[in-house]
Amino acid sequence: MSSLRLRGGVVIDPTNGSSADVRDIGVRDGRIVVLTPQEPVDEEVDATGCIVMAGGIDMHTHIGGGKVNLSRLLLPEMQRSGVNPYALPDNALELASCNGCTPGTLATGYRYVEMGYTAAFEPAMMPSNARHTHMEMGDIPVLDHGAYVMLGNDELFLQMLAEKQDFERIRDYMAWTIRASKAMGVKVVNPAGISAFKFNQRKLDVDENHVHWQVTPRQVVHTLARALRELGVPHPLHIHGSNLGVAGNIQSTLDTIDALEGLPAHLTHVQFHAYGTEGAKKFSSAALQLAEAVNANPNVSIDVGQIMFGQTVTASGDSMRQHAQSGLASPRKWVGADIECDAGCGVVPFRYREQSYVNALQWAIGLEIFLLVKDPWRVALTTDHPNGGPFTSYPHLIRLLMDRSFRNEQLAKIHPDVAANSALGSITRELSLHEIAIMTRAGPAKLLGLRDRGHLGVGAAADIAVYRENADREAMFSTPEHVYKDGTLVARAGRVMAVPTGGTHFVEPEYDRGIESYLRKHMASHGSVNYDNVTITHDELCSCCNGGRLLPAALFEPAT
Amino acid sequence: MTETPVTLRVGATRWTCPFCLLLCDTSTVQVDASGALTLSGTGCACASRALARFSAQPATASPQVGGQDCSLDQAVAAAAQLLAASRQPLFGGLGTDVSGARALYRLACKTGAICDAAEGAALMTTLRATQDRGSFFTTLAEVRTRADLIVCVGGTPVEQAPGFFERCGVGEALVAKRHVVVIGGSAADDAVLATLRTRPGVTAESIPLQGDLFTTVATLSALVAGRAVREAPAALKSLATLLQQARYAVFVGETRGLPAQGALIVESINRTVGTLNQTTRAAAMWLGGGNGAGTVNQVFAWLSGLPLRSRAGPLGLEHEPLCFDAQRLLAEQAVDSLLWVSSFDPDVAPPATALPTIVLGHPDLVSAGASVFIPVSTPGIGSPGHLFRADGSVMLPLFAVYEDTLPTLADVVGRIVEGVR
Repeated sequence: MSSLRLRGGVVIDPTNGSSADVRDIGVRDGRIVVLTPQEPVDEEVDATGCIVMAGGIDMHTHIGGGKVNLSRLLLPEMQRSGVNPYALPDNALELASCNGCTPGTLATGYRYVEMGYTAAFEPAMMPSNARHTHMEMGDIPVLDHGAYVMLGNDELFLQMLAEKQDFERIRDYMAWTIRASKAMGVKVVNPAGISAFKFNQRKLDVDENHVHWQVTPRQVVHTLARALRELGVPHPLHIHGSNLGVAGNIQSTLDTIDALEGLPAHLTHVQFHAYGTEGAKKFSSAALQLAEAVNANPNVSIDVGQIMFGQTVTASGDSMRQHAQSGLASPRKWVGADIECDAGCGVVPFRYREQSYVNALQWAIGLEIFLLVKDPWRVALTTDHPNGGPFTSYPHLIRLLMDRSFRNEQLAKIHPDVAANSALGSITRELSLHEIAIMTRAGPAKLLGLRDRGHLGVGAAADIAVYRENADREAMFSTPEHVYKDGTLVARAGRVMAVPTGGTHFVEPEYDRGIESYLRKHMASHGSVNYDNVTITHDELCSCCNGGRLLPAALFEPAT
Repeated sequence: MTETPVTLRVGATRWTCPFCLLLCDTSTVQVDASGALTLSGTGCACASRALARFSAQPATASPQVGGQDCSLDQAVAAAAQLLAASRQPLFGGLGTDVSGARALYRLACKTGAICDAAEGAALMTTLRATQDRGSFFTTLAEVRTRADLIVCVGGTPVEQAPGFFERCGVGEALVAKRHVVVIGGSAADDAVLATLRTRPGVTAESIPLQGDLFTTVATLSALVAGRAVREAPAALKSLATLLQQARYAVFVGETRGLPAQGALIVESINRTVGTLNQTTRAAAMWLGGGNGAGTVNQVFAWLSGLPLRSRAGPLGLEHEPLCFDAQRLLAEQAVDSLLWVSSFDPDVAPPATALPTIVLGHPDLVSAGASVFIPVSTPGIGSPGHLFRADGSVMLPLFAVYEDTLPTLADVVGRIVEGVR
């Protein structure tokens, strides 16, 4: 194998406490090592004038699976560059793939890598759609990947909860599902709400009963969070809360935090869940309330789901809320589905407009959350791609967060009521490179339990991004000089240099095998797939993912 | 532990049937003394018919160039040469699984080929209706668990998917009372309904067309929306009421059976579903894209961002759901070579054409006149694989019944990719 020295860069490695040290980074056989200054290497790269960070990790980005592909099928008109087709790549390493708001998997990999990202996680994998999701992720070049499996709207979970079955059995069922689907964690979307919509319920508050199963979202959230804690799954429950997009939903978000009773959890795309009802339009920012709750509850982490102005598509498992908002579709069409007694989906194209009061406020709320939450280790930088905007807008978002005058210039351009009244204009905080490094790599790695990723300590995987220092942070983060994946140069100044196959992160919690006969019986009487065909084996996962490496993550010592 | 493979009964192989859209996976395949493959368990006529085209002795068919047997290397080289010389290739048939589709995409990018499936028209019928107005769909387990009203549009799907009503749980106690309606069905459909009526809790009715199918579904749509319809037929009025009262109504249709401009019928039904979903719950299930077409469509969509009837052409990635129809391209002589793939069904033969043709598929595929013929393994018979089920959400693994001597499509196409200069 090969060795590499990155010489003289400013290393920002928050996991290992470094704050902007000028030092060399050594790499041998795909791992970070200590190299003595005299030690000969296969390649030496001059990184003076550059910022060196671990490769970026996007912990919440819709990159593959049913609803993502439905978005592509629904919106071929968005797979064009203006009126023209996307040009074919001029790089022999790339295959043709569209760069629209839901890019092809190939383009997804190329564009992430060019930006210095080396891992991405699909947050909403339905158990019944797990093979498909892994297949798509396997066709994303270069990036390591993983997915959170959706639970808490499957009829079996709700039935077990309604029947007050032993908690341990529910926990066993969850562990079985995680293993069978080869997931990295568990996500709940509108707890019990997707199922309730199938029973024609149109709204479900945190303490409201599911019309059929007579269980509440509070019970669902608490049970799932507790089980994951006890199973030792490193990433805690990933929560897309109740009442997404509804004015006044801050109360649901606070109630959800309350339902956790101190259990760890990750609240996702919180921007969509931080709305008040003040003002003439009965729609206001509740970013301060949310930030105070996050600051006061160290068990909670968040990602923001910042919106970006322009055309995109919202692809969500939340069929209840997507149906409710489908009238806002732009263009005017949408796809919804009820899927396999597991979950559902709703794909609604959307254009965020600067001159829309609501959209402008959403934009401001996202930024307020970033700037008001004190601990960057508990905030991940996301746009909930593609729902708030495409991942390719991250460099622009980073500039908004790091550069107050730029931020205020943008604020002045949006809906005048928001520009005049938003608290954003008075927030002086500018995030540092250190904080950006936490929110885009070190923090997500920690929240996912990836011990050898997201940092540059000895023994870590050599996933590295080298950015040329530039006062224009958008330009700086758009095009790193060098990007390495496991020590291989995969991008150079915005050009893909190699396309290795990424690996799959997943966890395998233990459970009592007694649950299997119960599940076999349930699937025979209620399901549509033979129980023996549900589990994705290691060999099958490998073939789904184009032979990429299997990266089982270590469990922590289960808390009981 | 769930990782351990299932123990197989002697002579029987765990099996997922790749021969219809339902991908039934509860039967096994038995190999009898003569080497014939037979179903055990709850099989169906479609599966038995398809299995009769294979035997437990792996096929030893030889590749051919110009009708003469040759080595695989020679056939691959000839295919690569043919494609390299072609200015606008057409990839048709597309009867393969995920791994075959992944390989075909690479070759399509390299050659600028236009890709359309043998059932491309049926596939586009659903897709274009969705692209115009959207849709709301459901899946088999949902239908089984909650559908109290199933409305078949233009006939039942039992010929293409014999186990359809069983897979939907019609007659099971999960839903105490189910009503099945066929709009515009045939005498054969009436016979199907008669059988369904004998099942516990099942009622069924047949509603004849009121005018043609377009008019019938348009009238139904208007009635469901509560619009005034002059002299509305009583049968449709009562169906509209049933739909409004149902807890979970499901429309089912086979797109390949629809008349020309069938996308309008799909759109009308989708609109009816949308209306119903304002007050109660409903969904549609469109069956189309068999023989691997639906799977290839999904794979191409995720790799490129665009569905079939697309190409990586000189201007870039283009999707033309009407212009890139294989039959139209052949008729207009807009392509100058054809690569035809049919791994599952030997009867899905390439269209008659004078163009240089490469045929990759089932050993019994009629390949007379083909410039190059390479028999390939059938996923689910001679090799493992993956296919999407009719409802588009569930992908299932296919298992090999025997170890094939034939190469997989992915192997062959991968070698052609290397050979195209």
